[in-house]
Parts: sequence; C-alpha cells; structure tokens
Amino acid sequence: MRLALVIVVLAAACGGGGNASRDALIAAWKTGGLAPSAFTAVKDSPVGNDCQAGTVNNVDVMVCSYPSADAAKAAQDLGLKWVGDTTGIATPKGSLLIVAADRKKADPKGTTINQLVKLAP
Amino acid sequence: MRNTTILIVLAALVGGGVALADDGGPAPHRYGRQVRFVGIHPIPKSEGGGMCNIEGPHVHIYAANKLEYRDHEGDHYFVGDPVAYKYDGPKYAYKGPHPIHVDAVVGGEPDTEYCYIEGPHYHYFRPADDPDFKMVGDAYFYVGEPPHAFIEARPAYVGINATYRPLVYTRPVVEVDAPTGWIGARAEFVTPGVYVDAPGVVVEDHRGWGRHGHDEVIVGGGAVVGAGIGVTVVAPPPPSISIGIGVGVGVGGGAVVHEREHHDNGKHRGWR
Repeated sequence: MRLALVIVVLAAACGGGGNASRDALIAAWKTGGLAPSAFTAVKDSPVGNDCQAGTVNNVDVMVCSYPSADAAKAAQDLGLKWVGDTTGIATPKGSLLIVAADRKKADPKGTTINQLVKLAP
Repeated sequence: MRNTTILIVLAALVGGGVALADDGGPAPHRYGRQVRFVGIHPIPKSEGGGMCNIEGPHVHIYAANKLEYRDHEGDHYFVGDPVAYKYDGPKYAYKGPHPIHVDAVVGGEPDTEYCYIEGPHYHYFRPADDPDFKMVGDAYFYVGEPPHAFIEARPAYVGINATYRPLVYTRPVVEVDAPTGWIGARAEFVTPGVYVDAPGVVVEDHRGWGRHGHDEVIVGGGAVVGAGIGVTVVAPPPPSISIGIGVGVGVGGGAVVHEREHHDNGKHRGWR
C-alpha cells in the first residue's frame, strides 16, 4: 500500500513522455548555433523519472520532462540540487525542466547557459 | 500515519520545500554554496571578471554585495551600472537616483527597488512605462515624488557612489538642463560637500577622497580630466557655466549640462 502511494505520487510529479518536445528543444539549440552532444536517458535521476543528459558547448545539461508545466516548475529545486556547487540554472519551459551546470568552467560569462533558455521554443 | 508522513515528505520534495521567508512566503532553497541571482550582473574579479550574461534566475558560488544588489523574490538583482564592468550590450542613460521596476525587467511579482547613483550612469534596461520618468537629451530623469521607502533607504545605499567614483569607464555625459522636478535637485538627494565656484571654475569635493581631501577636478575650456573619474567641468566665458557631472557627485538642479555623448535608445547609432 505504501509503495503504491509512493509510486502514484512520484508518477504524478515526474512521469510523462516528452521526447517530442525535448527533441524540439535540442533541435532549436542546434539551429541557434549551440553544439549539443547526444542526450541519453538518465537512470534514477534525482530530478525526475524522465530525464536525459548530455552536454552543450561543454556545459553539463539535463532535460527532464513532466506531465505538466506546474510539475516542471515544482521540480526546479531538485534541479538546483543537481547543479551543486557551480554556476547553473534549473529553468522550466512548459512541461520541460532545463537544468545546466557549468562544472568544467566552460561558460565563464554564462553565454551558453543563457542561450539554452533563450533559444527554447 | 506513516503513509501520511511519507506523502508529506514527498510533497515537500516535489513542491520545493517548506521553509519560509521573512515575508511568510516560501524561501528559495540554497544548496551547498549556491547564491541565487536573476538578471545580468558583474562577475567578481576573483572569478574572472566581466559580466554574467544569464538573464533569468541562476546560481553561482560567489557572493553579491549589498550596495549593488537588491532582493527580488530571493534572488540577487543587480542595480548598478553594468558599463563599469565592461558590459557592451544595449544600454540606457539615466541621471540621478530613480526607482527600478524589477518585475518589468526580469519578471516575477511587482517589485520596486531604487538606484542611488547620483550622476549620469547607465542601466541595461529602459524605465518601465512610468510618467515620472522624463527623457531629456537622451537621458532619463526621475521627476516623481520619491516614496518614503526611497528616501528612507538612501543612507544604506548611497555608498554606491563612493564605490563607483574610482572606477574608470565611459560614463554617459548628459549636457541638457535637468527637467523641472528632477530628483537630483531635491534636498533629500543632494550629497553635501560639493560646490561650484564661478567664474574660476573650481569644483571641490570635501568627502575625503583624493589628494589632500580634494579631488582633481579643476578644469577649463571644455577639457575633460580623469577619463570618467570624478567631475568634469567645462567652462565657457562667464557668466554662463556648464558642468558635466561624473558619477558620485551630487549637484543641485539648475546646472547646465551639455550633451557630449549620445545614446540611441537601442537604435545602435553608436555610443562612442
């Protein structure tokens, strides 16, 4: 019973598909001149249960999909926790959450990170 | 009971926590050494310097100072002059202190903060649609009745002028008469200790910086001394005196300021 409740809550918060919108997001980054790597599914992500991660211009990026925009917004703090002790963002865009962490100091002026949000459709 | 506890914990995790801010609303989380910012802002020299270009909410692991930042929904919002930090994007000239409608720049709930820079300066945003701002000579002047909060907080933030004064950068030079009602002419906003003598064209600043307690601001014939530091004085024949005012020097209304440098309100006619 307890397990069922946990599953229900987590599914409501983090479930859903979102591949189409995530693919569109990554395509927009490419069109805008950024260089995203391949994005692969993240197993047991602390941010959501439908997350893919890669890099964009050497910045670590994770894009998570949620059932709703509210759920994406609610997961922002989990995204910031994933960012850790470095420059980063956890910005909802519709039902997606864009999380970026400049762990390699590849984006000292934040230009790439800003573009991740500005170019999002 | 245990089921309820589990649900509460999960809801807190998903919903962003239960800590409360001073105003009773939810306080933004901080993780590790994160410091929250919103909008573009300077990067400390120790972190490489220049400007951070992230416009939305973001985090760094360095602190924000009190004079140049205000709180906006738990994020630090920069209210200083970005050009002092090598910002080269669109910029808008202001003269004197003025309100900033932060929500109009970076979104969020309505939030009015205040800039206390006394002379000509830039921001990267125009004023919000506000009849209390008047544009004269391509610079914005605040001519409204300053709210009590604006006046009350001035002692805490007016020190920003001492911070900016030694910075060498190209400030806007506004050379027009300030409009009637300009806040810079109000007694509450005139920094004491600055006076202008004519026709000898001597400007002295008795606030205790510069050699022997004075700044080097004695200039004639339209020359500019100090490349953006302190006061620039342009001296046509008496009895007329015109003054270009550097950041950090408060001068009452009525000074004649000639336009030496234009800005184009984003039309990119060139700034220099």
